[in-house]
Amino acid sequence: MDVNAIIKAIDSLNEVVGRIVCVLAIVFAAIIIYDVVLRYAFNAPTRWAFDLSKQIYGFYFVMLGGYALRHQSHVRVDLLTERLGDGGRRAVEILGYLLFFLPFSWVFVAQTFAFAQTSWNQGETTYGSVQLPVYPLKAALFVAAVLLALQGISEVLKLLAGRDLYWRETRHGA
Amino acid sequence: MGPEGIALAMFGMLLIGLFMGHPLAFVLGGSAVLGAVLAGKTMVLGIVVNRIFGDVLDNYTLIAIPLFVLMAQFLSNSGVTDKMFESLRLLMSDVRGGLALAVVFISILLAATTGIIGASITVMGVMALRPMLNYGYAPSLTAGVIAASGCLGILIPPSIMLILMASYSPLSVGELFAGAMIPGIVLGLLYAVYVAVIAVLRPDLAPPVHSDERLPKGKLLRMLAVEALPPLVLIFGILGSLLAGIATATEASAIGAALALLIVVARGRFRLDTFYDALKETGKTSAMILFIVVGATAFTGVFNITGGLRATQEVIRALDMAPWLLIATMLFIVFVLGAFLDWTGIVLLSFPIFLPIVQEMEGINLLWFVVLMAVVLQTSFLTPPFGYALFYLRAIAPPQMRTTQIIVGVMPFIGLIVLMCIAVALFPSLVTWLPQVLYG
Amino acid sequence: QDANWQMTTTWPSSLELIEIDRHFVELANALTGDALQIDFFEGGSLVPAGEVFGAVQNGVVQAGADWPGYWAGRDAAFSPLATTPSLFNAVDYVNWIQEWGGAEIYDEVYGRFGMVYLPYGVTNNESGFHTNKPLQNLADLQGMRLRVSGLEQGRILERLGGSQVSMAGGEIYQALERGVIDGAEFSTPNVDWSGGFQQVTSDWATPGWHQSASVFGVMINKDAWDALSPETQNALETAATANLLWSLAFTEKRATEAYAKWDEAVNITRYDDETLAEVQKIANEVITEVACENPTSAKVYLSQLEYLADYAQWRDASVPFNLGRTPDGPEIEPIRACAEGQ
Ligand code: NA
Ligand code: NA
Repeated sequence: MDVNAIIKAIDSLNEVVGRIVCVLAIVFAAIIIYDVVLRYAFNAPTRWAFDLSKQIYGFYFVMLGGYALRHQSHVRVDLLTERLGDGGRRAVEILGYLLFFLPFSWVFVAQTFAFAQTSWNQGETTYGSVQLPVYPLKAALFVAAVLLALQGISEVLKLLAGRDLYWRETRHGA
Repeated sequence: MGPEGIALAMFGMLLIGLFMGHPLAFVLGGSAVLGAVLAGKTMVLGIVVNRIFGDVLDNYTLIAIPLFVLMAQFLSNSGVTDKMFESLRLLMSDVRGGLALAVVFISILLAATTGIIGASITVMGVMALRPMLNYGYAPSLTAGVIAASGCLGILIPPSIMLILMASYSPLSVGELFAGAMIPGIVLGLLYAVYVAVIAVLRPDLAPPVHSDERLPKGKLLRMLAVEALPPLVLIFGILGSLLAGIATATEASAIGAALALLIVVARGRFRLDTFYDALKETGKTSAMILFIVVGATAFTGVFNITGGLRATQEVIRALDMAPWLLIATMLFIVFVLGAFLDWTGIVLLSFPIFLPIVQEMEGINLLWFVVLMAVVLQTSFLTPPFGYALFYLRAIAPPQMRTTQIIVGVMPFIGLIVLMCIAVALFPSLVTWLPQVLYG
Repeated sequence: QDANWQMTTTWPSSLELIEIDRHFVELANALTGDALQIDFFEGGSLVPAGEVFGAVQNGVVQAGADWPGYWAGRDAAFSPLATTPSLFNAVDYVNWIQEWGGAEIYDEVYGRFGMVYLPYGVTNNESGFHTNKPLQNLADLQGMRLRVSGLEQGRILERLGGSQVSMAGGEIYQALERGVIDGAEFSTPNVDWSGGFQQVTSDWATPGWHQSASVFGVMINKDAWDALSPETQNALETAATANLLWSLAFTEKRATEAYAKWDEAVNITRYDDETLAEVQKIANEVITEVACENPTSAKVYLSQLEYLADYAQWRDASVPFNLGRTPDGPEIEPIRACAEGQ
């Protein structure tokens, strides 16, 4: 398969996920506001808002990890590597992915799989009277780890193919 | 390898990874994995996921981070800031250093509405940078005042940094917000005083601006009041309900985002595409911040379980320093770390090491220490090579403004932050007074 | 051969419950000599409280101290292994665990998750709700968002018009202060005091009908346990038994001291007997309901109720020198039907 096709497939996947998942901020904001209104105005807080807003928030940010990497939004110190020239910088960046991203990503994928599997098999729920399922979120954590790992592959391929400069004008951060 | 060796190796890898320009989140996470491998304890890697899930996903307080980011996005879409800055700029046109002062005052106001520093610096940079250069302000002063004032948002509540600090310490968000309020505002005023003094002593660096656009003062004041009203309502609504203990930080952030959106709609600025852009930007920024938390929690987990944390604490305790000297040393370490790491990483790495030691000290107020750290962390945005404020300013500055000018420009402000630290150290009531009034 | 274990707990060092864990670790390290060294890490320093179970199950750490009720989301039976609403007192738990078959049930339930369990701590009646308004009767619970542990406890609270928030012990202080919740129960008066609840609440309603007593212990990864010699296993069991007795006296002493401090710091109200009888009625319904939804909890409740019925003869005969009351608990036969219907 053509390298460019792989890059395109991975980037599109995380782009689609990102564009859908980013809307969830509205959902958990709305749940919290709904609960605030019920609680302060009607003295009748919901049974589920606390746990559910937490779960959606967790799903939201973790699923966006690959999307943020696709847009190079994860912060880094690039003042030093910028002086190396394009070839040197790319080599150092690829080394960075091999030394740091790869081990972390491997553990993230492998461990979240075991983590999700255990929870799934147990049908784990929250332990109070509202037994909200926890295993879907733990399964999502595994999916998020895979999305992030895939995006890492795409970024390394871009570096190898010398296609890594397009994002320069689209950096974001806190 | 012993715990000390592992601890050194892990911090060594952290530094190497940072200098290689790899994203901080993955440098932290990768160093955690390599540390466990070096220690010969790969089975401890299981805690990485346990920690990520329990500390970062299953965390009600941290919901406030994306929502405060969203609020900032909505607010910068509303155009409130542009109008406010315009009227303040015209109003202060005859004052020496008026433009720079306007930047400081608007930044303080922005800081108190939400304080996502990327947003503040970008907004100020876009609106104030070129006018200041055109009117003859020195490039370094221009860069310094925009960068430094833009960082106030992370100190003046509401602040995502203070929320994170509360989440990883025994302190509450309300307590921290109240504690950081006065030091934050005083630091802002200190910037204003500095600018005013420069304008008097060195008019060549900060000339008065005689604008062609002359509007009556009364009209300008009225315009300013009208423009400042929506953010002021936000500030009092959000911050007031939070400090009064009516709403939690999470609730306040949700309501704040909704109110900011309402301001956008009320000003007829609502457009579906910018609304969606705000959501996308919020997603990227939140993932960026929270993935650093993910990496840092992996790092500290391995650091703890391999004995690195205990070894480090023992080394610090063995120094047997006087409390004030130890605290000064800790703050100095935070200052140095600030040149290489972002605030998220610094908070997550240093809190587990420092806080237990500070808590053991007699007569030391933990809140005071944490706020002192928050003040020192202002420098982390400004000190090269890793400083968000430098990045943001670089991104929007015209090509003729050199990076060295930006770095030289922020130096006096780093000095002012250090001055503020000394003031907080000498007068702890700057921190403790407001929380005491509010919470007894 | 020497083993080195890493053990953590669900309690941060700020909560006095951690003393029960620390005392066990000291005893265990002393009794096992060179054969086993347990390194103890305070709660939160290795994994967050809610993840201790998974960490032990997966062998990330060899041992983890807990309160079994935190795991009720994995199996509802963990709830009565941790506490009962208006049923067992501490002595009931000790009797049941040691001589009426309780220990085997702990091993069976934890065993399903690849763990061995040593119950080594017991606390008697918990304080009850700490709030910012007095709770005189059950109607006062309407609309309140309260931190309560446990499935049965949450159901009872909901029947009384309140709403349950579940959170680990270490998070309660901040939640109270931030107003995330309107009130909270946690543990015995001394532990609640160590949690600082007196700083963030003004009222306390006794007794703690929601948890008449609690059990604490250590989860041990099965592989780590099997790697020990029988002598070392025996030494750990002995340490657990010794700790169980010590914990009861220790917490009752500490609770007594703390009660005096509470009395000065907040307004203490007490439910009247009628209210408590009403609670008992609701608790019985909820126990039966939960037991019939979860066959494994039915099995635990059945064993506990059989103990109560069996012991009632002698306990009631020895009044007033008996240990505790024979509670007016749920009917045993419906629960037996649900337990044996499987
Ligand atoms: Na702020
Ligand atoms: Na810096």
